[in-house]
Order: sequence, then C-alpha cells, then structure tokens
Amino acid sequence: MSEHALHIPNGIIGIPTSLVFALIAAAAVGVCVAVARRGPDERFVPLAGLATAFVFAAQMLNFPVAAGVSGHLVGGALAAALLGPWLGVLCVTVVVAVQALLFADGGVTALGLNVVNMAVIATFAAYGVIALTLRLLPRTRTVLTVAVVAASVVSVLAAAAGFVLQFAIGGEAPGQSLGEVAGAILSVHVLIGVGEGAITAAAVVAVALARPDLVYALKGTRIAGAPHAKETV
Amino acid sequence: MKTSRLVLTGALVALVLGGFVALFASSSPDGLESVMLEGCRTDAEGEISGGECTLQQAAEHEIGGPLADYGIASVGSETLGGSLAGIIGVLLVLGLATGLFRLLARGRGARTESGGE
Repeated sequence: MSEHALHIPNGIIGIPTSLVFALIAAAAVGVCVAVARRGPDERFVPLAGLATAFVFAAQMLNFPVAAGVSGHLVGGALAAALLGPWLGVLCVTVVVAVQALLFADGGVTALGLNVVNMAVIATFAAYGVIALTLRLLPRTRTVLTVAVVAASVVSVLAAAAGFVLQFAIGGEAPGQSLGEVAGAILSVHVLIGVGEGAITAAAVVAVALARPDLVYALKGTRIAGAPHAKETV
Repeated sequence: MKTSRLVLTGALVALVLGGFVALFASSSPDGLESVMLEGCRTDAEGEISGGECTLQQAAEHEIGGPLADYGIASVGSETLGGSLAGIIGVLLVLGLATGLFRLLARGRGARTESGGE
C-alpha cells in the first residue's frame, strides 16, 4: 500500500455492503441537493468552492498522532461550520469523489462507504455539536473555538464509528475481534480529532473575523469582541 | 473584507498547503490504515513484509490514473511530482466545486426568479 492511501480501499468491506452504502450515500447526497437548493443564495458559492478546495488540501497534511501513526483532517467540521449541514455534506462529497476518481485515494467500489462516513456522518455530527453549543453559550471567539474543536473530535469519532459499523457488517479482521478493531480505531481517532480541531478552529475563526456573515453557524450574527468587519460583497 | 479577496487569500493558502506543506506531511500510515495493518510487519518503504492483517485484503484501485497517490509518475522527481499533483488537485477541486455550487444556486434562482434578489 502506498503511504498516501488514506481512505477505505477496495476489498476491505464486502461488495454487497459497499453497494448498500453506495445507495445510502446517493440518497443522502440527493436529499442534501434538494434541501440546499431551497437554502443558499449565491453569496455562499465562492466560499463553498473555497472550503472544498481547502478541505482537499488539508486532507493531504498528515500529522503525527502517535509513534508511527498519522492522522489527517476529515473536513466535516469545517464544512458544517462554514456552510451548514446540507451544503457541507456536498462539499466533503466532492472532495472524497475527486480523491477516489483521480487520486486513487479510497476505492471506487468503496466510495459510498467513504462518503457516508466522512461526508454525511462527520458533517451532521459536527453541525449538531456546533449548533447546540452556539445555542447554549454566547457567541464569543472562545465559544466558537471550543464549539469547533468539540465538533471536530465528535465528528471524527462518529466517522470512525461508521467504519466500525461497516466493518462489522461486511469486513473480516484476521486475528482481531471486532471489539479490538473498534477500540483501536476509536482511540487513535480521538487524537486525530484534536488535530483536526486545531486546524479547523484556526480556519473558522479566521473567516468569522473577516466575514462573520459568511459563517453559516453564526446565523448572521458576528462574534462578540470582533472588530466590525466591512460587509461588502 | 471583500468576498473576492477572501477567496483569493484562502485559495493561495490552500495552494501552499497542497503544493508545499504537504511535502512535509507525515508518511506514517494514518489512523485507519494503522489499525488495518495490525498483525503485519512493514519494511522501511511501508510495504507489508510479513504477518497477517486486514489490509492484505485490499485490492488494487480500479482506476489508478496519472495522479494516483498524489504523485505524477511521469515527472522524474517525486518532490516536484507531489507538489504539482497537490496544486493540480487544489485548482481542480476549487473549479469543480465552485461550478457545481453555482449550478445549485442557479437552480434555486430559476425557481424564485419572480421573487427577485
């Protein structure tokens, strides 16, 4: 295997399971397209394009999390904070699809598995945490940072749990019980989530300071303490 | 900050990340891969050299392609190839995503045209 093969490759999860998850992924993406068509106005287009390119670039940056183990950003938390859940799912889906089709990163047969975990599960989990935190606490820079870091950890763990579920249905580990696989994969992804949180918080706070009106999770408010940004479009 | 300036700044950051910083990224297996490698030994190149693990079940990628594994095989230098692949990828995703999201927004606009902006 190459050092750059990051997502679920072919052959790990059985074909029937992969196909079922491809259908689930297609249905979820279809729902997101339908809802997003009602939601966003044109103002979000440039930022949505940029966020997608940023997630693609950031996924290439593997950071060390333990001896001989690295992790990389998934992007669900970034997409959810900036674009909201519906556009956010589409953003990460574009990244995962381009990776599978052009960069041999993640199998094409496994595309549905990867889209369900990283785009659908991660983005919705992240958005839940961010929306809940910002509803309960005042919208300050610190709260936004905490919300995004927490959303990153939860979303990466949720994506990893998605893999464990898929593996339980259609995978087989020689010499390892499912519990061992689950324990190993969830514990390493806590650390990956913290790394993702640092990167995502930096990016989201930067956009929130420059253009709070473009951060979906802030719902049109600015964060307390931020200088008055010029809202020229 | 104007939207165009924000996007330009962000795009430059993404290009630097994908085209340069990525060259210094950790080449250790990631969280998923390391768990699937449990039970196997790997050599200095990261290839499986013995043992029994989940990752051995992995099949070849269906497409591969000229940009496979974030490199360009036809470019002699691995560093240059990796950097170019990152830059091509960022530009391609930026263009593709912006185009798709514009189509999405336009689809909405067509139905609410009478309502105006």
